[in-house]
Amino acid sequence: MKIYAKKYELLSAYVDNELSDVEIKRLEDELRFSKDLQEKLSDLKRVKKLTSSSVKSVPENHYFDTRLSAVIRNNNPWFFQIRKYFPIAGIVALSIALMVVLKVNPGIVNHLLEKQKSNISGFYKQNLKPLLYAADLTNEDIFNFAFYHQLPLDNKKHQYLFLGTGQNGNQFFEIKNVNQFSNVNNLAKFVKGLNLNSIQKHQVDSILSNYADDLQSQVLVNEKNTVAINSNIWNYNKAIVADLVSFAARANREEMRNVLPAGFNSYYNNGSVARLVSEVKAANGNKYIFITPDTIFSDSFYFDKEKFKQNMKRLNEEMKKMNKNSENFSFNFHIDSNFVNNTKIPSYNGEFKIFVDSNSCLIHLPQVFVPQIQYPNLDSMAANLGKAADLFKSFSFNFPEMNRGKNFNYKYFYNDSADGYKFNFRAFGLDSTFNFKDHKLNSMTGKNFRRFNFNNPDSLESFYRSFFGDSTAFNQKEMEKELQQVQKQLEQFQKQMEKLQKQLPKNQKQGKDHKSIEI
Amino acid sequence: MKNKKKKTDVQLPQILNLDDDFSLIKRFIDGDESTFNLLVLRHKEKVRNIIYLTLNNHELVDDIAQEVFLTVYKNLKRFRFESQFTTWLYRITINKCKDHLRKIKIRSIFTPIKDEEEDFGYSTSPDEKDIAEIVRKAIDQLPEKLKIPLLLKDIEGLSYQEIAESIQCEIGTVKSRIFRAREGLRNILKPYESELM
Repeated sequence: MKIYAKKYELLSAYVDNELSDVEIKRLEDELRFSKDLQEKLSDLKRVKKLTSSSVKSVPENHYFDTRLSAVIRNNNPWFFQIRKYFPIAGIVALSIALMVVLKVNPGIVNHLLEKQKSNISGFYKQNLKPLLYAADLTNEDIFNFAFYHQLPLDNKKHQYLFLGTGQNGNQFFEIKNVNQFSNVNNLAKFVKGLNLNSIQKHQVDSILSNYADDLQSQVLVNEKNTVAINSNIWNYNKAIVADLVSFAARANREEMRNVLPAGFNSYYNNGSVARLVSEVKAANGNKYIFITPDTIFSDSFYFDKEKFKQNMKRLNEEMKKMNKNSENFSFNFHIDSNFVNNTKIPSYNGEFKIFVDSNSCLIHLPQVFVPQIQYPNLDSMAANLGKAADLFKSFSFNFPEMNRGKNFNYKYFYNDSADGYKFNFRAFGLDSTFNFKDHKLNSMTGKNFRRFNFNNPDSLESFYRSFFGDSTAFNQKEMEKELQQVQKQLEQFQKQMEKLQKQLPKNQKQGKDHKSIEI
Repeated sequence: MKNKKKKTDVQLPQILNLDDDFSLIKRFIDGDESTFNLLVLRHKEKVRNIIYLTLNNHELVDDIAQEVFLTVYKNLKRFRFESQFTTWLYRITINKCKDHLRKIKIRSIFTPIKDEEEDFGYSTSPDEKDIAEIVRKAIDQLPEKLKIPLLLKDIEGLSYQEIAESIQCEIGTVKSRIFRAREGLRNILKPYESELM
């Protein structure tokens, strides 16, 4: 009986197609010879058919989902009710937390901002070292810094830092890529012009060298392309000028009397120059302007001169040993040409105005702290230089031989170096003319910059505008005419000079002691 | 010919398969509760049919189905992806049906209970003419442990393996119970043999 029951179970599974291939084969073999099994199979198939055909689907309920959602919601009412308020609750909680924090610590925002600023300034203040040491500052450089307000920023002297005072009296400085206004042998001309003897020349060198040490700490740089300029540098500039002019007047009073302004004699006699110099040196300004690739800011920074001096010897020795490496050490301030044509870039803190063009970066510093030191009004000297220039007629003048009577190419960069425009410029020895010299001597007043509109964003373009009006697309024929006129005037002028030179020996013989000064 | 080829190349919209149940559950676990509605939409009719066939009472179907899905909702975050979602869902459905039948039994504790396994000789009213109705009533007279595997196989079309997982027993037991259910059904329907043939 049990055996049959098992057979019938297999038949039931056979009907449901739930047997393995082996079981099916075995069962089908048995089915062929068993009528009983065949009848049972027939019964099972009939019952299965009846069961399957009796299916009556339950009618669809369209409200089932809605009811189910309600049931789930009622089952968990607290969560569902507050869930929609989650975003509002989050905002409210955040607002309350902020209010509490600001109430407890009202200065936290400022503190955070200051901290951020401090972090940024700390980052850019790292490893600052004197640029001027690295640039191998010479006495010539210091002299040019005094009179022409320019300092080399790299060993090859392709980049210069120019200092100036704007029309509104605010300081500005400019970083220029091209040394188009480079001054060569000005110190030698100064010495020669004053007819200084070797001792006096040594004294001039000594004065300049004395400032070299101090100037080292005025411009600092680091590997993060940061340039830090001490605001006291403007006073150093004036102190060196005062010191040199005062020395020049003492060294050769007879010659300098004609060029110095009235009252300057009393100025250098009463010791005010010495007082000015000592005050500038004692000021020890620690307020620096940091120019970084990201921002410009002013902040305090203490540069340990003594520690630096101690390291200097060691560094010098190391640099001597690593001569090649020291030559490779250079600093290059990158001017982003993408900013060209942007006449004004909004400053980061409202303190600075930045003007960038194809060859310079001009930065106005309206609120930078500059130590106020009483010093003689050297600017008054500028007003008398025009008169002084007339007196110089009795001296001889030396036109640079290399340019005399020759054409040379002057490459004018129209906005971008890629669109350079070349034209021939008739050389007439600008450097040796009085007028040009006059501009240079006046440069400490910033007048020179104004005259050439150097505070205009594209200084080079403005320079030529002063010649050719508002447009740089000048008429070449008109220019040629003007140049021919200038050439004629110069030739006349040259003849006059030659006459004067011939007369000079006669005058000397007649006891008129006029010395020849070549500038 | 070309047109025919083109027709076969057209991609039909992908029909959701069992793997999609898993992805919906994963989304639900990740916090997207809207996926639960999709699961309900996909499986509610099957669940309701099982309940209806098991209890043979359409008035109870929606209440029990709601209980089923509420249980699923509460426990879905603990789903372990070891078996198919439908197996788990049918197990819950069958358990809910059993619970309901148990409650009915407790209520009728003072009424005489027939022998579930052996009392196949119960005869229905001879007035009943509708064959389908006769068969349904006959199925309803089967003990639930025989009736449920039979319905899951013959009406819902589950395999023995799926039935075994749903009612939590061995495949051999399923095989035996289905056979016994068919035998029982045959005995119940003997008085109507002439009408059924």
